[in-house]
Amino acid sequence: MILTRTPRQLGVDVLGTLGIMFLMATGVTAQAAGNEVEKASSQPVAGPGDYTVINGKVDQGTYDGYIAYTRSCMACHGPDGLGSSFAPSLIQAAERRSFGDFSHTVASGLEIQPGRVMPSFADDEYVLNNIENIYSYMKARGAGDLGRGRPKVIEEEVAANKNNGEQD
Amino acid sequence: MLRYPGLVMTAAGLMAASLAHANQNQLDLQQNPDFWATQLGNYQGNRYSQLDQINRDNVQDLRAQWQFSTGVLRGHEGGPLYVGDGRLYIHTPFPNKVFALDLEDEGRIVWSYEPDQDSRVIPVYCCDTVNRGLAYADGKLFLNQGDNTVIALDAESGELLWEAENGDHTEGETMTMSPLVVHDKVIVGNSGGEFGVRGHLTAYNVETGEMEWRGYSQGSDDEVLLDPETTTMLGEPIGEADLGISTWPEGEWERGGGAPWGWVTYDPELDLIYYGTGNPGTWNPEQRTIDGEPADNKWAITVFARDPNTGETKWVYQKVPFDEWDYDGVNENQLIDVEFEGEQRKGLAIIDRTGFGFLMDRESGELLVAEKFAPETNWADSYDLETGRPNVSEEFSTFRQGVDVNTTNICPTAMGAKNMQPSAYSPETGLLYAGINRICMNYEPFETEYVAGQPYVGATLTMMPAPTQEGDMEGRMGSFIAWDPVAGETVWEIDERFAVWSGALATAGDLAFYGTLEGYMKAVDIESGEELWRFKTPSGIIGNINTFQHEGKQYIGVLSGVGGWAGIGLAAGLEDPEEGLGAVSAFSALKDYTELGGILTVFALPDA
Ligand code: HEC
Repeated sequence: MILTRTPRQLGVDVLGTLGIMFLMATGVTAQAAGNEVEKASSQPVAGPGDYTVINGKVDQGTYDGYIAYTRSCMACHGPDGLGSSFAPSLIQAAERRSFGDFSHTVASGLEIQPGRVMPSFADDEYVLNNIENIYSYMKARGAGDLGRGRPKVIEEEVAANKNNGEQD
Repeated sequence: MLRYPGLVMTAAGLMAASLAHANQNQLDLQQNPDFWATQLGNYQGNRYSQLDQINRDNVQDLRAQWQFSTGVLRGHEGGPLYVGDGRLYIHTPFPNKVFALDLEDEGRIVWSYEPDQDSRVIPVYCCDTVNRGLAYADGKLFLNQGDNTVIALDAESGELLWEAENGDHTEGETMTMSPLVVHDKVIVGNSGGEFGVRGHLTAYNVETGEMEWRGYSQGSDDEVLLDPETTTMLGEPIGEADLGISTWPEGEWERGGGAPWGWVTYDPELDLIYYGTGNPGTWNPEQRTIDGEPADNKWAITVFARDPNTGETKWVYQKVPFDEWDYDGVNENQLIDVEFEGEQRKGLAIIDRTGFGFLMDRESGELLVAEKFAPETNWADSYDLETGRPNVSEEFSTFRQGVDVNTTNICPTAMGAKNMQPSAYSPETGLLYAGINRICMNYEPFETEYVAGQPYVGATLTMMPAPTQEGDMEGRMGSFIAWDPVAGETVWEIDERFAVWSGALATAGDLAFYGTLEGYMKAVDIESGEELWRFKTPSGIIGNINTFQHEGKQYIGVLSGVGGWAGIGLAAGLEDPEEGLGAVSAFSALKDYTELGGILTVFALPDA
């Protein structure tokens, strides 16, 4: 299965689906233990930054966010969003910055200190289509709901169960 | 084109009158113990100095004389050159500035040069915008820019003499390695193994910058510059034609990596250059199989012995056929003369990325010794010396475990048990001295698609400190070792909190030197490994420690400036495999110890 080169569909379709999921799940409180069902977005409505974690597994969009991050950002921002010797932690960035700010930086780049270049990804369709996913992945990391390493994707039935409120 | 070589040579007060070849000039310079004229100290890659003013008895008095900020953040690899003209020549990571510093005036800038490069090259470096340093010959300095431009500068004035285009960063190619000048050629290799480039080693004319030959790391024999009838593998002719194509699934060789981004060494008597090639394209081994079975993916992770005049390959040895762990084979080939089983041999020793220490015959290309210098190494149990192949352990085979399966606790990590940090060799002790990495990994391959100029990795990995045994430092991620290349044994070992990512130095003063990622430069007794002296530089050291003598005074120079892959992988600390989700890692995070910043520090004895 090629997971990383169909971003356009994923960006739209998955988020669409998730939107419905999140609307349905509104009101479920985030729980401290990372292996429980989670709906941990600061905003009650679906949008960038939303994610689902069930038993350490994530929704497709958040997973794509991890892959996109690993492919396009990790070489500078370090493993699992943690930051490196020259680029800041994106987990913290996602906590502090609105999605608007975050995606603006990714599209236009940043160079506050000379030589510490955050490149512009304005020409990179793959990244542009995955910014929301990357943001969701970082939010999940920041909330402590998702650990380090490559997560697994929630199987279809489980997600369906969740939608039906049967999980847990 | 040749501008002021006479002037430089006069200033250098050199005995060498025969400047027929840049080779001769470089050879004369490196044979003078006062100079450090090539990054690895000599053609053989020994990083050994006969200077002994600074020695076991007085090293505790060693002082920093002056420091110089390069003004560049990010990882500073390589080190200063000294060719006897009273100046130090240093370089920086991207934007690849070059400085000539006055050694007699505490580092006053005599001239500086900054290339004009497209900053879009920055994101196509895999692991920081590093550069491993300048080369020098016949009054010229040679530099490989990140954007694939090879340049020659007039060492006297800093004026640009010529430039040559060696590759294309929009295809994912960069340059990070240090050139080597042999005869009238400057020899360079490309980087970009994580972007599916096609590796090549290229020779340019030192006077004109014209390309003289290029040998690819895969493809047809014509392009690899080998002849299956005469080029040997472990002493026998290769036999079969075009293995650089047939050992790959259809067309995969075209993005087959094998970038020679490490060091090149040279044997002037045999007139052969030696270097190794990097990982074979995508890190997902599945995509490099033929009919679902492992394929050798030649000539990735291969030691090449080439004729520097024509590029023709004398012999090859593939250290890791069908890579499943990103074990680039680029580590330096130390050319050392050894006694092996009662016979004198022209040896070639490698402290390899794989965790194995190899000894080969550099004339015949036979494999003599392959033993683990990092005992945690588990991806292979051993090497078969007859076939030259590793006995791969099924449990740690990321191919056998499968795509989308997380193969756990493989040692060493993709960073290797040793990465680019060059080792030192003392002819007096017969031992190699090297900073090594004690890190293991979980590795999960996934299918990936090639897009020119984009990462072509296809595996995710997490890293953790290697298991320790009794007596080892708890949670240590690196060591500095003395290795007996003939016996295949570690003689002594010093544990360090972080991977030791700096180049080592051995001297006739009975000392070995290395730097740590926290920023310490350390001197140890070459025989016992006992620490005798340390100094904390302002940033982590991934550069190499070089020594030279000017007007009777021995100096030691080192670039600090944390970064490289170590700065990316270790900044936030490693995962503790024992701890659960969200737990704070018990292992040290590099960012708690050091910050960025390129600094040259020059040491000497106060009353020398
Ligand atoms: C070539 C290295 C590099 C790559 C690749 C890279 N970044 Fe950055 N990024 C940086 C640096 C360096 C900074 C800090 C720039 C500064 O402060 O001047 C930065 C800053 C940022 C910021 C701002 C952080 C804040 O605190 O506001 C965001 C957001 C960001 N990067 C997102 C990304 C994403 C998403 C990707 C992958 C699609 C990515 N970056 C890839 C180097 C990189």
